[in-house]
Amino acid sequence: MQFISYYNFRRFLERLSKDFLVYTPQFINERDYDYSLFKEGFIFNPYRLISSPRQFFTASSSLVVGYFDSKIPRREIKPFAIVGLKSCDLYSLKIQDYVFLEGDFVDEEYKKKRETSLIISSDCTSFKDVCFCLNLEIKPYPQEGFDFNLSDIDRGFLVEIGSEKAKRIWEDNKDLFEERKDLQARREEKRKKIIEDLEKHLSSLGLVPQEKLYQLVKNNHANPLWQDTALSCVECGACIMNCPTCHCFLLSDEERKGEYFRGRIWDGCQYKNFARVAGGANPLKLRAQRLRNRYIKKFEFFKERIDLYACTGCGRCIDSCIAKIDLREIFKALNA
Amino acid sequence: MPKMNSIYTPKQAVITKIIEETPTIKTLVLKPEEEFSFSTGQFIELTYPGKGEAPFTPSSDPNKKEEFEVTIMKVGRITALFHQAKVGQILGLRGPLGKGYPLDSFVGKELLIVGGGVGLAPLRSLIYALFSRIEDFKKIIICYGAKTPQDIVYKYQIEEFKKPENVELRLTVDKADQNWQGNVGVVTTLLDNLPLNSSQAVSVVCGPPIMMKFTTWKLLESGFLEENIYLSMEKNMSCGLGKCGHCRLGRFYVCKDGPVFKYSEIKDIEDIWD
Repeated sequence: MQFISYYNFRRFLERLSKDFLVYTPQFINERDYDYSLFKEGFIFNPYRLISSPRQFFTASSSLVVGYFDSKIPRREIKPFAIVGLKSCDLYSLKIQDYVFLEGDFVDEEYKKKRETSLIISSDCTSFKDVCFCLNLEIKPYPQEGFDFNLSDIDRGFLVEIGSEKAKRIWEDNKDLFEERKDLQARREEKRKKIIEDLEKHLSSLGLVPQEKLYQLVKNNHANPLWQDTALSCVECGACIMNCPTCHCFLLSDEERKGEYFRGRIWDGCQYKNFARVAGGANPLKLRAQRLRNRYIKKFEFFKERIDLYACTGCGRCIDSCIAKIDLREIFKALNA
Repeated sequence: MPKMNSIYTPKQAVITKIIEETPTIKTLVLKPEEEFSFSTGQFIELTYPGKGEAPFTPSSDPNKKEEFEVTIMKVGRITALFHQAKVGQILGLRGPLGKGYPLDSFVGKELLIVGGGVGLAPLRSLIYALFSRIEDFKKIIICYGAKTPQDIVYKYQIEEFKKPENVELRLTVDKADQNWQGNVGVVTTLLDNLPLNSSQAVSVVCGPPIMMKFTTWKLLESGFLEENIYLSMEKNMSCGLGKCGHCRLGRFYVCKDGPVFKYSEIKDIEDIWD
């Protein structure tokens, strides 16, 4: 397997910067990391970042610049390379891919970004208290969906090459890598260790097994728990904006100097007017209905449509909720 | 620089005529710049340039290719803009979107069409489509209710709906004026003594949610089968493509899997009438 030292990895990122906008993790406080444009230093994130990768692929943008007879040239954006995605993030891209790439209508902008971007993921070496990926049978180390995956080992990274694109890039930068046969066993040990630690943490929480989640939501639409829990919701929308699998958006039109623009703005089902129609009717007028809607969408709708839960166990919704609404606790209460 | 065409890009359509249906409802006749056709029951997203989009089901004959019509009730920001639009103005068009009425599965059957208010718009398109192959259907009964005689849409042609031999037209208003000679009462009052075999017949319903709810109950009571009741579901839609997430109804997206559903498909979903 290929190995790259910390020093050479930094040089690798410098080289990638010629063709890509390279985003790498940075400290934003004593325990959290977020993406920032790579300049010189590189910090390895032991667990997932604050932001989900969703922002890179569907963030608010001008989808249609100057419809009708526009003279405005479309701006070509440099492809991006994102470093620091974790296994949960890669899983979330399966959901986003289904939404934007499957069916009769392909979102060309999303497709282009997925095709041209470079994803450099890494094994988790630690986890946050809110992490519960294993509960959803997602491993804390990537197994698919990356271009390069890094396993932090011996003052460098054991590198798995996961795509043809990555293979070409590796070939162009071979001088930075070396073949190391001795490290793979250590990688497996480290992976075993993180699983054990995470299992221990999760078993102390007494979580509901993943195979029960679908039925628990389906059978509990009328449960007063939604109402009781929603009472503390302040409708800030942090859970939906931070969720890596949330995908809802609004098309928004505007006119600037006689040119028309249509953009995408993130929307979400926890906002009061999400489902409101022009006449005023609103099937999600109550906070309890909206809270329940989030669970139906993630654990029923996606399960029925593509046999996947739209939840990665990243815990971002728990982390960001000012009212301390905890998805894991909701399932425990539904299961009680 | 080539134009970037995406699934979100509207094409141009020019307004060639505006028909005032009622004080709050107008029909816009639109001529698309590019070839455009739809199946009856499919919808479009109509753009007011620079301001926004809203979904409408064309109300015109799907066999007419040059122009099409949308009938718009003024209920919100965008519909108010469409009401101010003038002949010659250019609007944006995306579509057709969604699935239409399954006309072929109606062949040989007795049909009951129930419309309420501006809900007659998609049904007029359906009526045109049915009339173009009228011999394929055993019988068609059209029931339409409006709030007052003034609120009846397509007044100038509604009598034509009863021209074919095997078609019966029933009209009602919630509140009559001194000139009204017909039935008074909500649309469900037209559904008694229907001259058809309800256990075999197909019904197509479109109108405000409360009207669809009571109509569906009445039809079930009269012996219609759940799978023979077709409903046009109204939900907030933005993209119309099954991506933006707004119009979820149970395991469906109304825009992609509908907007027409059999009652049997959606009856177990809560709040379908809200």
